[in-house]
Amino acid sequence: MIHLAVAIAFLPYNTLVVAAGVAAVGCAAGVIGTFGVLRKRALVGDAAAHATLVGVACALLLTGQRDLAVLLVGGLLSAMVAIVLLVLIRKFTRTRDDAATAIVLSVSFGLGITLISGMVSRGIPGSGGLERFLLGHTASLTATDALLLGTVSVVGVLCIVVGLKEATMVAFDPDFAAAAGWPAATLDLVLIALIAVMVVVGLPAAGAVLVTALVVIPPAVARQWTERLVPMLVIAGAVGLLSALGGVVLSSLAVQVPTGPVVVLVATAFLILSILVAPCRGILWRTRSVSGLSSVSLTKTEVGAATPRVMERKL
Amino acid sequence: MTTLTANATLISWLDSIGPLHGWAIATAAIVSACCAIVGTPLVVRRMSLLGDAISHAVLPGLVVAVLLGAQPGGIGVLIGATVAAMVTVWFTRFLYRQAGLWEDASVGVSFTTLFAAGVLLVTLSGSRVDLDPGCVLYGILELVPFDTVDVYGWDIPRAFLSASFVLLIVSAGMWCTWRWQLFTAFDYDAAKAAGVPTVAVTMGLLVGVSLATVAGFVAVGAILVVAMLVVPAAAAERLVHRLHHAVWLAVVIAVVGAVGGYLLAWRLGTSAAGMMAVVLGVEYVIAILVAPDDGVVARLISKLVYLWRVQCEDRLASLWRAEESGQARHEDTFGGLVNRWLCVNGQVRKQENGLVLTPQGRLNAEVIVRSHRLWETWLGRHVDLPVDHLHPPAEWIEHHLGEQVRKRIENELGNEDVDPHGSVIPREKK
Repeated sequence: MIHLAVAIAFLPYNTLVVAAGVAAVGCAAGVIGTFGVLRKRALVGDAAAHATLVGVACALLLTGQRDLAVLLVGGLLSAMVAIVLLVLIRKFTRTRDDAATAIVLSVSFGLGITLISGMVSRGIPGSGGLERFLLGHTASLTATDALLLGTVSVVGVLCIVVGLKEATMVAFDPDFAAAAGWPAATLDLVLIALIAVMVVVGLPAAGAVLVTALVVIPPAVARQWTERLVPMLVIAGAVGLLSALGGVVLSSLAVQVPTGPVVVLVATAFLILSILVAPCRGILWRTRSVSGLSSVSLTKTEVGAATPRVMERKL
Repeated sequence: MTTLTANATLISWLDSIGPLHGWAIATAAIVSACCAIVGTPLVVRRMSLLGDAISHAVLPGLVVAVLLGAQPGGIGVLIGATVAAMVTVWFTRFLYRQAGLWEDASVGVSFTTLFAAGVLLVTLSGSRVDLDPGCVLYGILELVPFDTVDVYGWDIPRAFLSASFVLLIVSAGMWCTWRWQLFTAFDYDAAKAAGVPTVAVTMGLLVGVSLATVAGFVAVGAILVVAMLVVPAAAAERLVHRLHHAVWLAVVIAVVGAVGGYLLAWRLGTSAAGMMAVVLGVEYVIAILVAPDDGVVARLISKLVYLWRVQCEDRLASLWRAEESGQARHEDTFGGLVNRWLCVNGQVRKQENGLVLTPQGRLNAEVIVRSHRLWETWLGRHVDLPVDHLHPPAEWIEHHLGEQVRKRIENELGNEDVDPHGSVIPREKK
């Protein structure tokens, strides 16, 4: 930890900006992603990320200016449309959930590529290389971008803190929430929208795959350490933050190393470590005290029951 | 005249496509057929996202294979990608089983990790791997015809050859293991209990998916391969119920999507890979609209048919009641579609003083009124409802009671032949 702090303190200004921006996204994505993962919607963020391309292309086409804020608004709108479509497909057809996610993801991405490629071949100014929007360019993050990322992250986390009770309710038992008189469907949509906002805002900084990883991996790590919601949120936020910082520092050590993939790999390293050593659930723990009562071996049937156990938190 | 011109335009247009586009279209069609064949069991077994994961995760396999000296587009690359796909599957299973993660989260973790490793490898290996990220993500279908190999004096594109090879393997594999695939897809546990090597069957399917993915890589890129794997299968399984029908239909949908997408993209001057996904998406939307059992159109039609039947039956019943009470026709006008339909149908006849029931119509009307009054009587006896509240439920259920139910209600009521309002319940007639 101290090494990390020292390493950060001696980073050059540019890297510091990148570190701040990615760390903010990592932390907020971890917290908000926890609800996505608990709700078994881990990959909704991925679908939203790929759908932004359509909105980005439309925004450029309509306004004619390649301004990050304009593109982001366009991307956000199309991500929302994609999510609404996803919910509609799940509700009104018998297509399975996973297939619906894959369909929305790939078809909206295809539409985006088609639009951008058509714009390029018609020579519309600013459309060249627009499809690289999804790849992100972490290294060229500016101070303004970092500030935007920080603001959105803080607002996102605040939303969760303010609406913790409602979010918990909807995440664990939407039917009960609806029966108890909560506007469950709206709250659910708000939660998904939060994930979408987080993903879209993180895109230019981190790229689609990294953002998806930041939404999924930190909650997975946190799940290894605790059975309760609030500690899980805190751990997920911390893991997101640490893997972002660690990734930025590690990649700044070498010259030609892209930041995004390193952040993902650091987060996965955290996960593997947790799976091995986490108390009660860790593999090492389980093999050492085979006969001990303290070992909770997680069999296949218990995986399904894992979600309700986190729910034991008093509402 | 216009059709002639249109035909001439079409012919000259098709003529101008030429052999180069022909090769690209053929390659795309074969690739999409491969994807559809393996995609259908994948979708039915709720493993669509594994297709997404594999398509991202073959990247490190490709890079390592190329680093080890495999030729791009050759067998070595296919093997490398298959190994990477197996690693993904193993990692996903490990997370699901050992770490107690949710299914979709396991997939999310494993594919982002492998993709990140792949990107890192590409960057680190620098110029040694000639792998353009653009090619990986969007494919290079337009360039397929230019990379050819000489086969007995014919210049055949390399991608076409490898895609055909994959199609051969995939369809042969499906053909040989079909019964096992079918059994495993519908009931994994029963298949296992019956001695089907379910793990081997699943692994075989996933090897097929990774082969199809690698073939699709060249044509449409990593993400749009997902469209080819999942969308035709999802559309086909809305339209037919048997798995082998679904596979054939998915192949047709996929090939139409590939060819249509390529031609449209060429006409509009845009990316062929993207347009294929869009066409596939449109086909999916059409499929969910027209699906015979739960499609939007089918549901609308059955609703309309029901409403129409209710209208007709209500009209018949009201005519019958008017006849019973000895009134002259209160339905004086011969307007309205319902009356016309009943007239065409031979259930009512037009006379000077209005409409009258034909014998056939009278028989049908009696059944409706009988159901109505039986139900009112039954409700009046068993449910504590005031007499003026008995009509609305009976008005609804009269369209739904079958002969058996009427008989049972009648038996249950004994020899009651007057309803709570004092009207006579008509007898069942043959």
